[in-house]
Amino acid sequence: MSQNRILAILLGVLAALVLVVGGLSAVLLLSGGSDGDDAASGGSGSSGSVDSGAASGRLRLGGGDPITLDPALAGDAGSAEYIVELFGGLMTLDQNLNVAPDLAASFEVSPDGLVYTFKLRDNAVFHNGRAIEANDVKCSMERATERRLASSTAAAYLNDIVGAREKMAGSAQSVRGVEVVDRKTVRITIDAPKPYFLAKLTYPTAFVIDCQQAESNPRNWTLKPNGTGPYKMREWRLGERIVLEAHAGYHLGAPKVSQVLYQISGGSALTRFENNELDVANISVNDIERVRDRNNALNKLYIEASSLSISYLAFNTKVPPFDDVNVRRAFGLAIDRQRIADVTFNKMISPATGILMPQLPGYTADDKTLKFDPEEAKRALAASKYAGRVLPAVTLTEIGAGAEGAIDTQAFIEQWRQVLGVQVQIKQSDAATFFADVDAGRLQLFNSGWILDYPDPENVLDLKFHSRSALNDLGYANPTLDGLLERARTEREAPVRLRLYQDAEREVLKDAAWIPLYFARQHVVVKAAVKGWTEPPMVIPRLRFVSIER
Amino acid sequence: MGAYVVRRLLFLPVTLVIVSFVTFAIARFGPGDPLSVAAGQLRDPEVLERARAEKGLDGSVFEQYGKWVRRAFNGDFGESYSIQRGRTVRELIMPRMWVSAQLNLIAIVLVFGIGIPLGLLAAWFQGRWLDPLITTTLLGLSAVPVLVVIPPVLWLFAIKLSLLPVGGWDGVLEIYWIADVIAIPIPDPHLYIPIAAMTIPGFAGVARLVRVTALQVQLEDYVRTARAKGLPERQVAFRHVLPNSMLPVVTAIGLSLAGVLEGAFFTETLLGIPGIGSLTFAAVVSRDYDVILAVTLILAAFFIVMNLVTDLTYARVDPRVRVGAAARV
Repeated sequence: MSQNRILAILLGVLAALVLVVGGLSAVLLLSGGSDGDDAASGGSGSSGSVDSGAASGRLRLGGGDPITLDPALAGDAGSAEYIVELFGGLMTLDQNLNVAPDLAASFEVSPDGLVYTFKLRDNAVFHNGRAIEANDVKCSMERATERRLASSTAAAYLNDIVGAREKMAGSAQSVRGVEVVDRKTVRITIDAPKPYFLAKLTYPTAFVIDCQQAESNPRNWTLKPNGTGPYKMREWRLGERIVLEAHAGYHLGAPKVSQVLYQISGGSALTRFENNELDVANISVNDIERVRDRNNALNKLYIEASSLSISYLAFNTKVPPFDDVNVRRAFGLAIDRQRIADVTFNKMISPATGILMPQLPGYTADDKTLKFDPEEAKRALAASKYAGRVLPAVTLTEIGAGAEGAIDTQAFIEQWRQVLGVQVQIKQSDAATFFADVDAGRLQLFNSGWILDYPDPENVLDLKFHSRSALNDLGYANPTLDGLLERARTEREAPVRLRLYQDAEREVLKDAAWIPLYFARQHVVVKAAVKGWTEPPMVIPRLRFVSIER
Repeated sequence: MGAYVVRRLLFLPVTLVIVSFVTFAIARFGPGDPLSVAAGQLRDPEVLERARAEKGLDGSVFEQYGKWVRRAFNGDFGESYSIQRGRTVRELIMPRMWVSAQLNLIAIVLVFGIGIPLGLLAAWFQGRWLDPLITTTLLGLSAVPVLVVIPPVLWLFAIKLSLLPVGGWDGVLEIYWIADVIAIPIPDPHLYIPIAAMTIPGFAGVARLVRVTALQVQLEDYVRTARAKGLPERQVAFRHVLPNSMLPVVTAIGLSLAGVLEGAFFTETLLGIPGIGSLTFAAVVSRDYDVILAVTLILAAFFIVMNLVTDLTYARVDPRVRVGAAARV
């Protein structure tokens, strides 16, 4: 029976353990108010304040793990958010979205618009102190275009450089168009005089990295990358936190906040903001009412800003019934986007007035889209080749996990039923399935969005609608449009170029290849102690302008 | 018994090969692939084709599986293609699994630590007012899903009282300073809400199990004999009833321990805890082949081993259970 005694003892130990843990919890709960605040304000024991020169304080942000910190690979805004703070390229975007020199001190463009010569800054250094040289620029671009890396962003955004396509296809050893002139001078030759080339250089895939570091640890070098940006990586605990630290030697002016803490884990951002765990938080549609209320304390901390992103319904113009422009128009005319934006989204987004959005060159305020008009919608359907016949079954597909459909999609379905008498099915698939179906041309109608990667209308109109663009997933081809887009590529008079894009935009809308839905808007609350926080319409470096006055 | 253990363990590699191939094939036959997810809106069919060739994701399932096995034998379980591009699977999974394991272990200790004494207490007081009170409360508690427990708890302790953080993870222990001199390690405040959510339905279930078995044991002949030969009631309870009521509990502990590496998906998601549950979900949705496969294999191997351990423990606790060769004699 000694075994039973052992069991009894074990049980006793277990019970004791429970008591100890429970007791400690009680002690903590009773005395814990202050401790909780400590943890919240980021003062938990080990944090140790790091004072680097004038920089001070700690900024606490929410965030997610970036999918990758490799500038050559990153294609999503979530990753770019960190990359633009950790790295830099020849050019950057200033706070007004103008293209401005970053690692380059100056540049010259040849009279034919093909050759760009960049002089590098003398004071630009990597985080480890090494000065940036022309070789670094060259080898970064060579790496980004390596066949082995198979980068889709390099394929999309470095393809204007002479020899880049051949390098990516594996038929050339190096990119002919990138040349080291001397230690501080690099020359880039492009295939046609494209005025938007400099803007493309502001995208991460063109950024400069420490090639030696990437080669020495190809899989995990981005855990602590040796970049050139205003902030350096201090700690990245996957799923827990990312801590950035000011790069005191930053060539465009040292950051004012010494440490930026991204809390990757954690629940609702606004709740953490109210609990004084975060300095900045996004507002969801569930909370917007409360934040807009003038009597609520949060109202004074609220910022609203526009963003260079658009959501849309896309038609596969090759499959019935959307092979007929009248059916596409009928679907666009039958939905009341204004009402959905006002009611369903509580005015957090604005109905799109076209494809080019506010703050993008070429944007005009007039509404160029199909306006809600039930009668006109019925007439359009009646004018289609499907008039008098039973419309082929229609399915709208979107990315999602539930079966119900996004809240606005459900409203569309209802409006199409009421106005056009068409029964549309909703199908939700995960991202992998969705992309596979789109690429195979299996979808009729799908819900999607586009975030601009650099502020030029080419980045949406040419990429998504030119008939030979690899990213045109609509089966849509319009020779007039192609002509306009091709002329715009090399038009060097800015006003003329923008007019070409406006014509191209009208052409796409006339054909109803997309139903533009909304322009996204950003809604955040920022603690009063945080000064200089901005919500730019696209991902640009912004942390170094922020300071904290607690 | 040694031979039995060896025989059981010999099945481990066989099982793992089957599990890995089935998982591998199912993931591959699902529509889409991780590279198109990674490329997102910048999917260029030509570039994707190239990328598949470079990553060895072209060719038949058998070819790909062959490549994977060769790499795995060299200790390379691959890399993430979509959720943490380029990171090695090991680098990605281990920290997350460790987080889930810590949470689960603490929860298990509490579940059984509270559940067992409570169940015995209820059994002890059978027929008196305390028993129905405990039993009904337990029934209520064990019926409440995690999804329902968390929001009100968060609202009260995090938002209204500001005692606890809203979510997240900051390790198990935190150093608490008394007057900046004495350092005491205490459980990190991020733990309380997830642990409460994971423990409450669990301990209630265990207590009900213990109560029922204890009551059954009370009716056994040997208990009656013990009483008949005049043993004091305390000795009857601790020497006869208690150990014998522990048998189903051992099984329950074994099963719980086998699940230690699995994440608590809802708790992790609701509270933003970086455990293996949320990682696995993301990997499946993004078809991150190597990650899905590695997680499945680790869980399978651990489950098999823990099952064996449970069987062995069971044999030690209950002399009637014999394992392996002896059982067949």
